[in-house]
Amino acid sequence: MMTRTLNIAAICAIAMFSSTPSRAQQAIEIRLTYSNGQFQPSQVSAPADKPIVFRIKNADAKAMEFESKSLRVEKVVAANSEGVINVRALKPGRYEFYDDFNEKARGALTVQ
Amino acid sequence: MAMRYWSAAGQRHSIGLLLVSCVFFGGAGTSRADDATSWKEIETKYIFGFTTGSGIGLEGEKEFTVDTIGRFGKRDGHYTATETKYEFEFTPTQFIQIEFGALGSTHNISGVTDLDDRRQVAATGAFAELRYLAIERTSNNPLSVTLAVEPTVRWIDETSGARVRNYEFETTVNADLELLRNRLFAGLNLLYEPEVTWGPMGDVEREATAGISGALALRIAPNVVIGGEVWYLRHYDAANLTAFTGDAVMLGPSIYVQFTPKMFMTAAWNTQVWGREIGNPVSLNLAEFQRHRARLKFAWEF
Repeated sequence: MMTRTLNIAAICAIAMFSSTPSRAQQAIEIRLTYSNGQFQPSQVSAPADKPIVFRIKNADAKAMEFESKSLRVEKVVAANSEGVINVRALKPGRYEFYDDFNEKARGALTVQ
Repeated sequence: MAMRYWSAAGQRHSIGLLLVSCVFFGGAGTSRADDATSWKEIETKYIFGFTTGSGIGLEGEKEFTVDTIGRFGKRDGHYTATETKYEFEFTPTQFIQIEFGALGSTHNISGVTDLDDRRQVAATGAFAELRYLAIERTSNNPLSVTLAVEPTVRWIDETSGARVRNYEFETTVNADLELLRNRLFAGLNLLYEPEVTWGPMGDVEREATAGISGALALRIAPNVVIGGEVWYLRHYDAANLTAFTGDAVMLGPSIYVQFTPKMFMTAAWNTQVWGREIGNPVSLNLAEFQRHRARLKFAWEF
């Protein structure tokens, strides 16, 4: 009975994690610069169904937090440094991002 | 644990004041920006009250929450019980959220049929929760669905406050739908919660609760969401849902306020508006459920 329960649990776990996109796929790299409290560029695009790597260079003298509810990521990038954020393969749509420390710094990723 | 007992009326009054303050607090936000499409997206997990939204947080995010649920009113006497979760939650991937923590409870019971009089504060147990995002919302798909399991162990009975050994395995489907961009959301939960309890005399009790809820949440300002929800709950004296003992409908309002980008609260009040106990021709089901329940949750992200 215990073995059967463990087998069912293992099958469920494999089913859950197998739907997570593999990072082994070729990732699309998106470079952003954060300067004067703004993302440059603020509008970026990427193809659907491919993992994405955001490289964010914070050129400002204070830390910023790259955050996106729809991308489901957040990362603090220290002043004058670079942060790398891996994002799963995305479905077509518009994904907004912002600096959680600065209401005015906004941008969006369009996936087609 | 410094908890004080409130009377049900006092608690209603305090929560009422809190809700009014929050609406006024949020009103300032309304005047700043009425265009909801320009608002930041919102995490839906806690905007529906007792109904849980599909949100699982952001990868790398950690959160500490204090989540208190109060239950008030039985058929007779005085009944007030609370259970508080001291919870740590984190999101290790973009599809999974994990939570765990400790439980504390208070019981203030006097003159209630079938329950011993009791006045106590106690450490109650522990729990863990795994949430998996099965369907994710995009700008082209307004539906989001999360599956969750929450095993819990208690050594103090949730209802009576008696010393027991209780194992519960809550399973839920948390779905929500964005009806108006950044503004109006509908939530739906399916609940199946089997449990087994060993009593102080060695007696074993198996039971289950099943339920469904529907909720609406309206974002009236960037940082304030108000709403309402209805729950239909069924109780069984068997884990496999074969011995039906009664059901109830609970209804009430909810409010969510984001104080800062890293701190929020949610509050909800449900009142039993219909119920039945099998074999007992009285209105409402106050044997297995309570007359009122309230939720107050504070969260700090870091």
